Amino acid sequence: MILWQLFISFLKIGAFTLGGGIAMIPIMRREVVEKHKWLTDMDFLDGVAAAQSSPGPIAINMSIYVGYRIKGIPGMLVSVLGSVLPSFTSIIIIASLFTRYAQEPLVRKAFHALEPAVVSLIAWPLIQISQKVGLNWRNFWIPLLALVSVAFIGISPMYVIIICIALTLIISQIKEKRGKN
Amino acid sequence: MLTMFLTFVKVGLFSFGGGYAILAMLQQEIVVKHGWLTASEFTDVVAISQMTPGPIAINAATFIGFKTHGILGSVLCTFGVILAPLCLMLILTHTYIKLQQKEWFKNLFKSLRLLSVGLIAAAMVLIGKSAFPDLFSVGVFVVCFLIIWRWKVNPIYMLLGVAAFGMVFG
Repeated sequence: MILWQLFISFLKIGAFTLGGGIAMIPIMRREVVEKHKWLTDMDFLDGVAAAQSSPGPIAINMSIYVGYRIKGIPGMLVSVLGSVLPSFTSIIIIASLFTRYAQEPLVRKAFHALEPAVVSLIAWPLIQISQKVGLNWRNFWIPLLALVSVAFIGISPMYVIIICIALTLIISQIKEKRGKN
Repeated sequence: MLTMFLTFVKVGLFSFGGGYAILAMLQQEIVVKHGWLTASEFTDVVAISQMTPGPIAINAATFIGFKTHGILGSVLCTFGVILAPLCLMLILTHTYIKLQQKEWFKNLFKSLRLLSVGLIAAAMVLIGKSAFPDLFSVGVFVVCFLIIWRWKVNPIYMLLGVAAFGMVFG
């Protein structure tokens, strides 16, 4: 019974996370904390922090966390399935239409206008996020180096991420040792 | 199909910073390395993802899997992209509270967050390369940016409006 409820809740959450990401956190909180009281607010917030730390879409990570906390592995599978299903079906429908009508002049015209609009949709969060992460002249080189190596040199973001993780861990180690001495 | 599955597992494993930050990686793997989509098709998928529910990585995986191998391909790619998060998130659910207090863990996410700013900028440049074939496109970009900046419109409504505008005046 609780598995079914989990599935339905996450189906709803999945269907309403248009544009994806952090926008669905309040919707999920209403379902999980307020309506069903599956988790306390504190537990929920821990989940949000963990979901942001782990790779993968936040919405999916959150459904893994909540599903697992409530009903173990079966709970996790059910909630992931629920949250993926709406996006999966809508993309399947659109993809089958798209492959058929992609060359229609009217569709081409629409996408011709949509493509630059997408760039503007990336530009705006970029500005907001750079303010939020505390960008200053001392750490500015990190995103700048990432931008240049990925967009202009063509290095895979994977290597950039690996190098970033390795460097941070080494620097943390050194700092810790210095602190002890 | 196996290459495709493994590619999406890889993308899933390195998709830190959510949404926009992984666009650059998707673009490189899908357009540059494997040529599963052209540059402008990729941008179309991003536009479609913005208008449909669900995270962009999932949408892209489903779309590309379907385009190349039908329903089976889309199931496999979608599963691939969530496989790594599934495993890592399970570990984090158990250990997060402890890890949170470690200095190296905090530093790690401080620098990964900074990194994601660069990755988002890279995505913008990579997508921008094919998105501006003419002056019309530049105009659409400027107007859209002003609209988001000034009125913070819901992206879905804006994209629907842009699509309609394109059909009439494009």
